[in-house]
Amino acid sequence: MQRRGWWVAVVLALALGLSLAVGPVLAADEFKIGVITSLSGDLATGGNVTKRGYDLWGKAVNAQGGIQIKGKKYPVRLIYGDDQSQPAQAASAAERLAVQEKVDAVLGPYASGMTLAAAPVLEKYKIPMITGSAESPLIWRQKFRYTFGTIPPVNFTGSAVIKTLAALPGGPKSAVIYGTNDAFSKATAEAFQATAEQVGIKVLKFNILPPKQDLTPLMSAAKVLKPDLIAFGGHDEELINLVKVLTQLDFTPKALLMHYGVTEPAFIQALGKNANQVLGASVWTGSMQTKGTLGWPTAKAYADAAVAEYPKDPADYTQAACSAAGLVFQAALVQLAAVPPLDEAARTKLVEILEKIDLQTFYGRVKFATEGDYYHSNAGLTPLTVQILDGKERVVAPAESAQTKLSYPMTPWNKR
Amino acid sequence: MLALLPQAIIDGVLLGGIYLTVAMGFSLAFGVLHIIDFAVGEWIMLGAFIGLIFTKWLGVDALLSLPVVFVIFAVVGWLLQPLLHRVLSGSRGRPVLMGLVFTFGLALAFRGSALTVFGIFTHSLDTVLSQGSWHLDWGPFFLTVPLIRLAGLVYALAVILGFNYLLKRTDFGLAVRAVAQNKEAAGLMGVDVNRTSAAVYGLYVGISAMTGVFIGAIVSLNAGMGPDLSIFAFFVVVLAGMGYLAGVPWAAFLLGLIQSFFLIYFNPSHVLLALFSILYLILLISPTGMFRKGV
Repeated sequence: MQRRGWWVAVVLALALGLSLAVGPVLAADEFKIGVITSLSGDLATGGNVTKRGYDLWGKAVNAQGGIQIKGKKYPVRLIYGDDQSQPAQAASAAERLAVQEKVDAVLGPYASGMTLAAAPVLEKYKIPMITGSAESPLIWRQKFRYTFGTIPPVNFTGSAVIKTLAALPGGPKSAVIYGTNDAFSKATAEAFQATAEQVGIKVLKFNILPPKQDLTPLMSAAKVLKPDLIAFGGHDEELINLVKVLTQLDFTPKALLMHYGVTEPAFIQALGKNANQVLGASVWTGSMQTKGTLGWPTAKAYADAAVAEYPKDPADYTQAACSAAGLVFQAALVQLAAVPPLDEAARTKLVEILEKIDLQTFYGRVKFATEGDYYHSNAGLTPLTVQILDGKERVVAPAESAQTKLSYPMTPWNKR
Repeated sequence: MLALLPQAIIDGVLLGGIYLTVAMGFSLAFGVLHIIDFAVGEWIMLGAFIGLIFTKWLGVDALLSLPVVFVIFAVVGWLLQPLLHRVLSGSRGRPVLMGLVFTFGLALAFRGSALTVFGIFTHSLDTVLSQGSWHLDWGPFFLTVPLIRLAGLVYALAVILGFNYLLKRTDFGLAVRAVAQNKEAAGLMGVDVNRTSAAVYGLYVGISAMTGVFIGAIVSLNAGMGPDLSIFAFFVVVLAGMGYLAGVPWAAFLLGLIQSFFLIYFNPSHVLLALFSILYLILLISPTGMFRKGV
């Protein structure tokens, strides 16, 4: 007994000694930016879209040596926290990044539910977060001081597609709308419903479903109603499953609108020719005529750089928004002119700078709202209607940005 | 909405067929070997991925990979069972708990390896049946039966009938039932308990792997699909009565029908509430399963 106790004491003393020796670092020569996103779990596909966006920015800024503060360049180190597609893990990751890693800022999650979980934690530790992916208006209604987003809420993006469809000659007159019960998907489905009612499309059925339901019975019920349009709010995998169910039931509506996931390369890869003519919403594509004052000079330059780095995964608007989020931090940190590590006062000042920032990027204009329902989101972008045609994402509306005409109605599955 | 009734029934039965494929091997393993295998979902997932690899490598229809997948995984299960047996009958005490921990650990190991090796993306298995469906129109009623789901049901029923024949009409089945009843006595009667147990576990893993191919074709497959399937296997088997193999098809169809009817006729938001309420009600009245024949 005594021998064992002696050994325990020695080991503990060594451990204590080592930790003190490594100890706190007085000054850092890099900016530590935490990243919380879904690297595993159901939302991993989307999480990896955001990872590509954040990594591209990290690499680009470090290729120039880093962010220049007071004559010295500070490289950026991205420290990842996997939320595993679960809100509890998102909060836990936020806590770990704040307390253990002591990050200066955070780049936010893919899914709105995760953002809602991490935001209060970061609010407590006063660490600013910009997410390149949150689309649920629920986030902005909470008015988190330290959370910002570069994508407008889904009420803007989603409603634009419905309006485009309504304006088509011989367009859809009836719709069945479903959404999964999570922060983003529910808001998407509700946005679809509200707009449909506004433009005179009759909503025959509207349901919010628990996640991961088998969609066959629902689509069987929808088939009976013979809707012109099926609109679905959900994430990546559910969208793929929905198309599969429709092909199995041999039911082709005149238009199929789904959000979010249509713009992800994985959607086209999984479904092949069945992905064609599916409609989605977006706020950016590589063909836009935007000009960036920081980072990539044009949308095309970013799209090319993205494909060079990730040949199998062309960039979609979420990836672009994530890289833009990095650019916004970059611009704000330069304005702050504070050396890392940032203390609480510096981080609070960073938030004040973010509230006033007005940046032109390859992604479009980034200017966060400072009041109202869309507090701290980037509501100024133009929503686009996109459609998968010939295995590629194409902008079909509004007219100024359209690359080609909207294909309507859809060709039946068994005739492809 | 009466016109939808046949469709609701068919959808429910087909959904039940999927649950049956997931739960039948699990019930066999519990009934005979008294193993609660937490890794059942992961065996299914691995089977789906091996099926995917085989299909992509040879460019053939996914259903042709079924015999290959069965053989590979039956051998794996056969080889793994002695290790499981050691854990379950070990001298470390609390064998049932250790069995749970071991299979849970297996599940985690498989899931992690699959994520590393296969990545995070969701895939789909293509078969000639994937887009086919039968249409039946009769007066106001109409029916669409997706062929791939029908194939899943046929597979499930074939396996269940195969089990029934194996267990009731063969010497091997006699040995299995003896082992399930009383291992020691069976050994005394001349049954090679170790070989029989290994064979049963191999059979269970092989069947579960084949199920993976069907699930990959009907729905989709990805490295994280295991836990949800394990949970459903558990529900079906508990409802049927743990260890009562004959009850599994009824439990699976009941769960499928409840879901289907609820999704079609009531508010889909409450489908999980309905499902679990009915489950709990049944278990409250009859804790040993719906036929009162469970453990």
